[in-house]
Formats: sequence, C-alpha cells, structure tokens
Amino acid sequence: MQRPESPVVTKTVRVVSPFVLTFGLFTLLHGTKSVGGGFQGGVVVATVVVALGFGFGVDETRRALDRQTLVGTAAAGVVLFGLVAVGSLLRGAPVLDLTAYPVATVYVVELVEVGIGVTVAGVVTTLFFQLGRASDE
Amino acid sequence: MTGAATLALVLALLLFVVGVAVLTAMARDALAAVVVFGAYSLGLAILWLVFRAPDVGLTEAAVGAGVTTSLLLVALGRTGWAGLGPSFSLSFDARSLVGPVAVVLALSLTLPALSPVGDPEAPGFGGASAYYLANAGSLGIENVVTAVLVVYRGFDTFGEVAVVFAAGVATLVVLGREVP
Repeated sequence: MQRPESPVVTKTVRVVSPFVLTFGLFTLLHGTKSVGGGFQGGVVVATVVVALGFGFGVDETRRALDRQTLVGTAAAGVVLFGLVAVGSLLRGAPVLDLTAYPVATVYVVELVEVGIGVTVAGVVTTLFFQLGRASDE
Repeated sequence: MTGAATLALVLALLLFVVGVAVLTAMARDALAAVVVFGAYSLGLAILWLVFRAPDVGLTEAAVGAGVTTSLLLVALGRTGWAGLGPSFSLSFDARSLVGPVAVVLALSLTLPALSPVGDPEAPGFGGASAYYLANAGSLGIENVVTAVLVVYRGFDTFGEVAVVFAAGVATLVVLGREVP
C-alpha cells in the first residue's frame, strides 16, 4: 500500500486515535456495567492500529509493533482465559465456574474480558498487517 | 420515541439496508462495492440499536463497518488492481437473480414460525433467560449479555476465542513467510 499523502487523513487519525483508544479500553474494562466487553473492546482497540495504518502507512505502523509481540499478546489472552477456566478446579468447583474464586465474580469476569480483548486485538491487528503490508520481506 | 416514529425509523433503515445490499451486489467497481458494503454494515448497526441490542450494534459497527471494510480495502490494494476511476456504475445480469431470489423465497417460508417482535410469550423469554435475568445482577454484573457470555456460556466463549486465535495463526502460516 502506498503511503497516503493527504494531510486531512493523517491529521484526523492523529486527533481521533487517542479518543478511540480510550473508548476501546472503556468498552473492554466496563463490559460488566455497560454495553460491550472483551470482543467489542478488543476490536475497537485494534481499529486504532488500523486507522494508524491508513494514516501513516501499513509498513511504518508494522515496524512499531513486531510480530512476536502481537502473536504473544494474542496467545497470552487465550492462556489467561484457559487458566481462569481450569483454576476453579483447584477450589473443588467445576471447570469455568467463575463464582468459585474468593474474590467477587465481577473481577474474575473482568479478567476473562481482558483475556478475550487482548486476543481479539492482537489477531485483528495481525490480520490487518499481514493483508496490508506492501512487501513480502 | 412513539411507536409510529420507531416504525418509520425501522422501515427507513430496512429500506436503506436492502438498498445498499443490492447496490453492493450490482456495483461494477470492487472499491465502490467495498465502500457501499461498509454503509450496509453501518445501517445494520443502527438498526440493532433501534431494536435495543446495543451489544450487537457495537459489534456490527466495529467489526462489520470498521475492520471488515479496512481488511477488504487493504486486500484490494494488494491485488494491484487499478479500479474504474471516480465514476459509479452498476451492472445487472438477470441470470444472477435466480440464486438470491430462490434463497430469499426459501427462507421466507420460515417467517411464519417466528414470534412477533416483543411478544412476551416467545420461547426465548422463558426457561434459561428468565434465570439469567434474575441471577446476573447478584453476581455484580449489570450487563446481562456479558454475564451470559462469560459466566453462563463461558465454554462457548472460550471456543470463540480459540477460533479467533486459530484464524490469526492460520493467516500467519499462509501469508507470513518471513524468516523467523
């Protein structure tokens, strides 16, 4: 993809990105109280990277986020969800019984949402970078 | 909003969604089709909001209108395809109607089996959903959708996260040919 030259696009991306990122994190971490959750929040956070890619070029953005970090983040989300899922066994409860933990269930749910969110954000960003990069390095 | 205003809004949105869906199918230019498809997702997202399903609406807006459109755009950019220029033209082939019309007619046969919108006697309102509505609040979770997804249907959600992760890994296996 060619580097876009339009100052309108780069300026808009610059101005809008912090707000979209904040909204994404709010959606991710506030899913138990309001609309959204891990999936939606993760996608909105990834949209910030997509917008940066459109504003400043996919390859420039890709250099700032290396592949190992992205895949590692995505894998960490799955592992986090899996650990929370089987962790209830240690307390004598069935798998995925989120009420088995000694803290309020809402915090366990938030932890799971964070796991979902980082996996979704990492994978969507990876998809965008792999499809949008200009060269097969 | 009064009932008549809501009905008018729903009808307008449905007309818009069907209209842009037809335009997506008929646009000759692939880039134009992608952009019109983004408008389709946006119309659908607003429709979910009107139907009081904001969680679905947010997902549709973020995934359908946002991420899918950008992925299609960058994929289009990679094909080296030049495009047809700024003009917007439609193409129509009567033979291509056969499949969609047959599918729409076949699916319409199932419509009488659906409950009316907002019917309290609908099967979906009894059974498990009554339990979810009654018990999600006591877990400290005010958004019942989140409670169902994570607490009551956690196994499904874990499977979905695994599918998302597998999609990312599969993309890297197919496209990510860099030397590790």
